[in-house]
Amino acid sequence: MPYIPHTPEDIQHMLTTIGVNSPEELFNAIPDSIRLKEDLKLPQGLSEYEVFSKVKQIATKNNSLNNFISFLGAGCYNHFVPIAVKHIITRSEFYTAYTPYQPEASQGTLQAIFEYQTFICLLTGIDVTCASLYEGASSLAEAILMAYRIRSRPKILLPANLHPEYKQTIYTYLENLEFLQIIEIPYTEEGTINLDILKKEIDSDTCSVIVSLPNFFGIIEDLNTVSKICKDNSSIFIVSCNPIALSIFKPPAEFGADIVCGDGQVLGQGLFLGGFTFGFLATRTQYVRKMPGRIVGETTDKKGKKGFVLTLQAREQHIRRQKATSNICSNQSLNVIACATYLSLLGPEGFKKIGLLSTNAAHFLYEKLHGIKGLKFPFTGNFFNEFAITLPYNVNEICSKLREKKILAGVPIEKFFPQLKNTLLVATTELTSRRDIEYFVSSLNEVLR
Amino acid sequence: MKSEKLIFEKSQNNRKGVLPPEEQSFLTSPEKIFSQGLLRKHKLPLPCLSELDVIRHYTRLSQLNFSVDTHFYPLGSCTMKYNPKISEELSMLEEFKNIHPYQQEEDIQGILELMFNLEKILCEITGMHRFCLQPSAGAHGELTGMLIIGKYHRLKKHKKTKVLVPDSSHGTNPASASMCGYKVIEIKSNSEGLVDIDELNREMDDEVACLMLTNPNTLGLFEEKILDIKDIVHKKGGLLYYDGANLNALLGICKIRDMGFDVIHMNLHKTFSTPHGGGGPGAGPVGVTEELVEFLPVPLVEKNHNHFILNYKLKNSIGRVRSFYANIPVLVKAYSYILRLGKEGLKRVALYSVLNANYIREKLKSYYNVASPKPCMHEVVFSAIKQKQQGVSALDIAKKLIDEGIHPPTIYFPLIVQEALMIEPTETENKETLDYFIEIMIKIAKEAETSPENFKNYPKNTPVSRLDETQAARNPILKWQSPPLGD
Amino acid sequence: MSTDNLLFTKTHEWVKMENNSAIIGITDYAQHHLGDVVFIELPQIGNSIKQFESFGTIESTKAASDLYAPLSGEIIEANTKLQENPGLINNDPYGEGWIIKIKITDKEETKNLLGPEEYESFLKEENQ
Repeated sequence: MPYIPHTPEDIQHMLTTIGVNSPEELFNAIPDSIRLKEDLKLPQGLSEYEVFSKVKQIATKNNSLNNFISFLGAGCYNHFVPIAVKHIITRSEFYTAYTPYQPEASQGTLQAIFEYQTFICLLTGIDVTCASLYEGASSLAEAILMAYRIRSRPKILLPANLHPEYKQTIYTYLENLEFLQIIEIPYTEEGTINLDILKKEIDSDTCSVIVSLPNFFGIIEDLNTVSKICKDNSSIFIVSCNPIALSIFKPPAEFGADIVCGDGQVLGQGLFLGGFTFGFLATRTQYVRKMPGRIVGETTDKKGKKGFVLTLQAREQHIRRQKATSNICSNQSLNVIACATYLSLLGPEGFKKIGLLSTNAAHFLYEKLHGIKGLKFPFTGNFFNEFAITLPYNVNEICSKLREKKILAGVPIEKFFPQLKNTLLVATTELTSRRDIEYFVSSLNEVLR
Repeated sequence: MKSEKLIFEKSQNNRKGVLPPEEQSFLTSPEKIFSQGLLRKHKLPLPCLSELDVIRHYTRLSQLNFSVDTHFYPLGSCTMKYNPKISEELSMLEEFKNIHPYQQEEDIQGILELMFNLEKILCEITGMHRFCLQPSAGAHGELTGMLIIGKYHRLKKHKKTKVLVPDSSHGTNPASASMCGYKVIEIKSNSEGLVDIDELNREMDDEVACLMLTNPNTLGLFEEKILDIKDIVHKKGGLLYYDGANLNALLGICKIRDMGFDVIHMNLHKTFSTPHGGGGPGAGPVGVTEELVEFLPVPLVEKNHNHFILNYKLKNSIGRVRSFYANIPVLVKAYSYILRLGKEGLKRVALYSVLNANYIREKLKSYYNVASPKPCMHEVVFSAIKQKQQGVSALDIAKKLIDEGIHPPTIYFPLIVQEALMIEPTETENKETLDYFIEIMIKIAKEAETSPENFKNYPKNTPVSRLDETQAARNPILKWQSPPLGD
Repeated sequence: MSTDNLLFTKTHEWVKMENNSAIIGITDYAQHHLGDVVFIELPQIGNSIKQFESFGTIESTKAASDLYAPLSGEIIEANTKLQENPGLINNDPYGEGWIIKIKITDKEETKNLLGPEEYESFLKEENQ
């Protein structure tokens, strides 16, 4: 019986103690009409060896990035992760522990999360952050709900150049809340948020303005101007950002952001189909009580020794119930421990190099691609590690040919933006070598000839 | 075990850590690409550490934790069962790790097949028609469920403004309903700890969108009148929502659909033994009846001959509740676990988790007040009210357990039980562990009678003891502050 | 401090009448049940409150409660000392731990409140 240690003697002893003849008798409260009379229609259990074989066989039907030179991005990026990160988060004292509600039994988890909180505040420049949300899209949705708690005005100004899946998530989260209205601000030729339209749309009913950095097209927004427009209107300024960009860019707090959020996949998590990540949400001290998520705080014990506890819990669902800042309970705790480990291992030099190399590779590729006839660049704005290119004919056909050469050219975005036909988002990271870039360029040239 | 300094306090200027692979040949300085106003002016304020510094630091931190692999962890409602290592191993295979969410379907057939298979299994176990694997936690599943119910009613032009929850419900239930704009009404439990049918009849009306139930409930009791409850709710056009936190007790015993539930979520990190990770990641797949499939978040995974595809074309999908697909490694672990257990292993989970909880109940009921006269299922709730009268609270008992090397049970939940101790041993604990726990709990009950004053000093065997939570909340220190620079 | 001249709500607020104004706080029973108060959200001066409606929230480490107005009126003063020292509510709930002062709009509303003895009996019933 896998994972069930009971011997027949144990079972007998326990049944006798309880006073029943079989474990089945303990289910008498369940109405007979719904008791299953047959086994579940599932296979019998497999041995460990068979489970391994079967799942491994299924896994091998994936064609991983190990077999390609990839320029895929659009919100999930293939960055270098020091191998030591895995060795910390596979320690079972971390991964088989629960939420640290009993602080004396959880100082490991609590301190690691406190350190993670510090890292996020250092990168974003802002005062306080929570112990994580699920990922970037739902974090942005939570940020918008939080902004409403701070300033209860009905309008939310969302940029059209926001990641489409983030946009969709926000519409879903807000669907039932009839008192909120989302207005999309279109983008310009540069690929940035249309500031004239933003100025026109913002008014005393505007709760928050959202900007992503970089935006979905990889372009960098004019945060200074957007910030000023927000401040002049007393609206909450929310920046959803790729934290790798913060290795070389000024922290969003210095641009006046009130809430900074985003997806932590790039901070030491790996790819996993975009499914091993965390969401971060950080804000100014004065808004801390409106912030969702768990928070770890420092305190002292009865002997004056420093220690860590979950704090400000009165915001959360287990205390506040229907009046909680959010319904969130489980978060992405193990992932933030990976993040803290990742940033500790890289240090300022390593982390800065990752940002520099990522953007350099993108600009180098961009220059080289300008030599290819027929290729268009739909946006003129400056970019971080990703940019859009428009191909002269069917993007799927071209990508298919490149795939035969083991190149994953980029993410076609026509399905998200029908007006951007045959357009690809091309991304690079510090793992994109000069050879990769030159191979991509020469292959694309060849395919287009 | 000693406490650790913060990682930032271990930093030494210019100490180098791990660097990415580097090619200098096309490196330009950022000033040549970006305007000055955009660039960071000051050095990145990250600590400088060697790899050994970091490994030693986080390894030592991990050793300060209690965990399932090191301690008995009977946290009620959390299902802290053993996390099989084969699940861990399989979830970290390169082929699962190195796939990008925007690779074409042809390249991710493996993970799509796994998701498809997992969905079919969850349908068989629960009787629901289809599942969406997207929600990343139980609460996320609850929110998804509320959104589905909301859209269903809206399209049918029902005016529904309220959601009913038992007063014993987990806080995420009312919080999720509230996030969807519903007014939450709490139904009082009866003296046995079950839903009060008269109360339900009183509160159930045409404006109630749904009733959210956990079954067994948070007292570990099966809602015997579930079929009556279903009728009461459905008659007035409401839906029935199932919080799957306590599914451990019902695997292979009965199907959730048969109890009349319309929308459910499951907690893969509870029932299907994916590890809790210190608070996450988890997964909360949402299952629905056939009528509600069109509302599920997209994409779903479909099978076309022997090919798996992503289906974005649900007629009235609520949209998305996150980017990309799901907490992928959690799905891999749950799938591996189910394969390992098979149909007979899953049923044994229910049988032995319930056996273990009742054994504890029987042995401790003369020392601690049981919260309900009814026999329990996979978890048992006691009230330490007797001990409280002697000056020893549930919190004090918890602290003493820590000294004895046992992680405390859940305390002060459910809210309707005073000085609640919620104990869920799970099926993976052996009899010696249970006996040891029982022995310690009896010892504590006796000490509470003879020397209650001792308890204020527990725990004694931990690096810190009785941390000041008041101070933490009154003067929050939520990050490390670097000491002011000399220059 | 004596509670003889106070009136009470079933949600454990007290009110002390002073001509046309009233001082409001929470009772000893309430502060005891809450535990150490860590934060209180004080309403703005000039806001109106209605009898038995929520006018703010009070937080401890393990609970959060709404504060319900014993009487309707306009807020003329809030005890800002509580921002720095929320523990005053625990230590001196009827004195230094007062929360707001209002200008009363309808003295008749006092009919709906409990006197000291009624409140005591109410507490005894609650704890059965």
